[in-house]
Amino acid sequence: MGLSTYLTPSGFLLPSIHSAPPFFVQQPNPATQAVVTEQWTRLVLSYARHRRLFFLRLDDAAAPTGEWAEVLHNERINRAPLPPHLALVLAHMVAKGLAAYEPPRQSRTVLLHWRLPEEWAEVLHDWAVGTGQLNTILTFFEIAEPEVESPLVGIPAPLLRAAIAVLARTGRAQAISIPDGEGVRFFSGRATK
Amino acid sequence: MSTALQRFTRTVDGTIPVPALLYVDEDQICNQDNVGIYDGIQKSSKHQNGTVYVTSHRLFYIDATKSHSHSFSLDLALVVRTDYYAGLFASSPKVTLYLASSSAAPENDLANESWICELCNFRNPPGTSLSAARCTLCGVPRARSSSSTPTPAYPTLRSGATLRPALTDPAPSRSPAPAEDEVACPACTFLNHPSMKECEICGMTLPRLHAVSAPASRAISPSPEQQSADESGTNMIKLSFRKGGDKPLYAALRRSLLGKAWEVQRTTRSVDDTGAERSGISGLIRSAEATAQTRQDDMQDALADLETLMVKARDMIRLSADLNERLTAISSVVPASDASATSILSSSTHTSAYAPSALIPTTQTDDATFIRSSLVQLGLHMENTPVTLDMIRDEKRWHEELARELAGVLQGSGRGPSMMRTRGIIGIDEVWGGWNRARGVALIPPETFLQALPHLGAYTDPPIQMRKFPSSGLTVLHTPSFAPASFVGRLQGFISEHGPRTTLEVAWAEEIPTALAAEMLAEAEMAGEICRDETPGLSLGLGADGTGEVHWWLNIFQTYQWDGQEDIDTLHTSLPM
Repeated sequence: MGLSTYLTPSGFLLPSIHSAPPFFVQQPNPATQAVVTEQWTRLVLSYARHRRLFFLRLDDAAAPTGEWAEVLHNERINRAPLPPHLALVLAHMVAKGLAAYEPPRQSRTVLLHWRLPEEWAEVLHDWAVGTGQLNTILTFFEIAEPEVESPLVGIPAPLLRAAIAVLARTGRAQAISIPDGEGVRFFSGRATK
Repeated sequence: MSTALQRFTRTVDGTIPVPALLYVDEDQICNQDNVGIYDGIQKSSKHQNGTVYVTSHRLFYIDATKSHSHSFSLDLALVVRTDYYAGLFASSPKVTLYLASSSAAPENDLANESWICELCNFRNPPGTSLSAARCTLCGVPRARSSSSTPTPAYPTLRSGATLRPALTDPAPSRSPAPAEDEVACPACTFLNHPSMKECEICGMTLPRLHAVSAPASRAISPSPEQQSADESGTNMIKLSFRKGGDKPLYAALRRSLLGKAWEVQRTTRSVDDTGAERSGISGLIRSAEATAQTRQDDMQDALADLETLMVKARDMIRLSADLNERLTAISSVVPASDASATSILSSSTHTSAYAPSALIPTTQTDDATFIRSSLVQLGLHMENTPVTLDMIRDEKRWHEELARELAGVLQGSGRGPSMMRTRGIIGIDEVWGGWNRARGVALIPPETFLQALPHLGAYTDPPIQMRKFPSSGLTVLHTPSFAPASFVGRLQGFISEHGPRTTLEVAWAEEIPTALAAEMLAEAEMAGEICRDETPGLSLGLGADGTGEVHWWLNIFQTYQWDGQEDIDTLHTSLPM
């Protein structure tokens, strides 16, 4: 068919399937649709990881510009997934644990787990150890927006909370409530990396 | 002074039989011949021998000799009193009628003409008596003091107190001469109240009234006049019964007078007026109701008949089921007694009477088969009957023959036209229609057609198979080139050659109807051979394809491998392909 990959201006390589119009159409054949959904999931997570995007909303499909425009809109072939199709993809991701509805009990916005909370926990702990901030109380704000560049920049609070919960299970962190937000204290713990 | 006869009676043509002279609602009660008439005290010379008829409204005298000119009728409304004189010796019994004039008198001679209703201007046919007269169109009773042919002045011949407003008048009076103390304006002719000095409408000064009832007559109570007339006999008529019959006639006369049939319509508005029912808006409504009621009754009768028919049909079905069971029972005896039966049959030729049970089986098998197959053909399917071999044996041959014929129709005999020569796939509805048209008169019902189809493959070359689409239930006949696998192969070649194709383009290429192409493409899609691309409403700007048509692609997802951005810093396991 002559499909080719495409490099977006932001440096992301779109797969060749993205140039095929049927990719954007919900397929009646369940087997075919399963493949489509799978590829979409991978694409979304990959792009989120590349751009460090945490949220995906159904409205992003409707807006021609935005953070997701490079993926969700293909101007070259003039196609975009319809909201029902995208909702299907989101539901699939949530079912696989690769995303979570955030805020909960609605199905229009998801928080993407392009890095699972367990992995975030590891990253978090490593960063705390690496920057020498063990045993001190840190606010969420400080973690998400530190002065120094860190892999945790921009992490949303729910994800951070989930990571801290994971760490708390192994005794490496402790959630503390402080005025004006939430805080956490890291311990060295005995968990191995 | 005019005589009573002159004043109160009206001449009629006695040659007309009396029933024809009667009003529509008038009934004849009694009659008596050999009656003479006394006008007042003296004998009336013209009316000495005739027949008197008493009806509910009037009294007729038809002269025996000169019936044409010497007959008259008298309204019973004018009778005030009656007297009876039994007669002695030479004088015959007499009945005296004392008459009084009423304001209804002047209109009497107009009762036999058609009259115009004042409200709706409808010209009513003659025949109804005055009091009972109602306009047949609007149902309004006829006015008391109106006349159908307006005359400039009231006929004063017989009127006593014509203009007295003594009687209540339900109908509006538009008589030309002003009645009831109203003053007509000279300029605009509006009828003003008598005490007005100026006309209410136009302001013209009104002429002063002298006497209310100045024209026409003196509005004096009739009683003094009556009493004086009584004595002078100008207001009385006597009937002299020369040959008897006075008593029954007098009784009938009194009954009529008591009944006052002419006044019934005036006072009561009872529902059982026969005249009211047929006239006016209520009459129209009633007639519509009557029509609807008749229709309803007819419908119910028809439904009742239908039910009876259904019951009978049920009986028939039950009978045939009985028969079938009996046949089954008997024919099951056949194998055991077949050998003996045949021997008995051959030995005795006249054994129709004896040994019927042994004889019946053989003949019954054929009959049983025949009856059962005819039952099946009639559509009365029996649930308990096994489809025995003998029953279907002939039918199978018949189906095969039909299949052979159909094969000829579909593929032609080499020369003539055929249905499938140029088409590889065809819906069976088309086949059935075309085949029946080819057969002409001997049509094939759908069930037989379906039974014949499976045999088609044996007689066709290339073999035609039947296939049913699972999604829509459409059944088609097709040649092997249109079997799903070969069709898909061709389709894939077509798409890879020309790019994504719409359903329409596929239909053109394969030369099959569009709906059929859609069916086959849907089937291929469900099998995973092709995938779709459609442009729904959401399109970015003016794309090249905004029509919303479905384009068919080869299934690129089947063998797709991810070739996009490789995740470098992913810590979790890679997603399955």
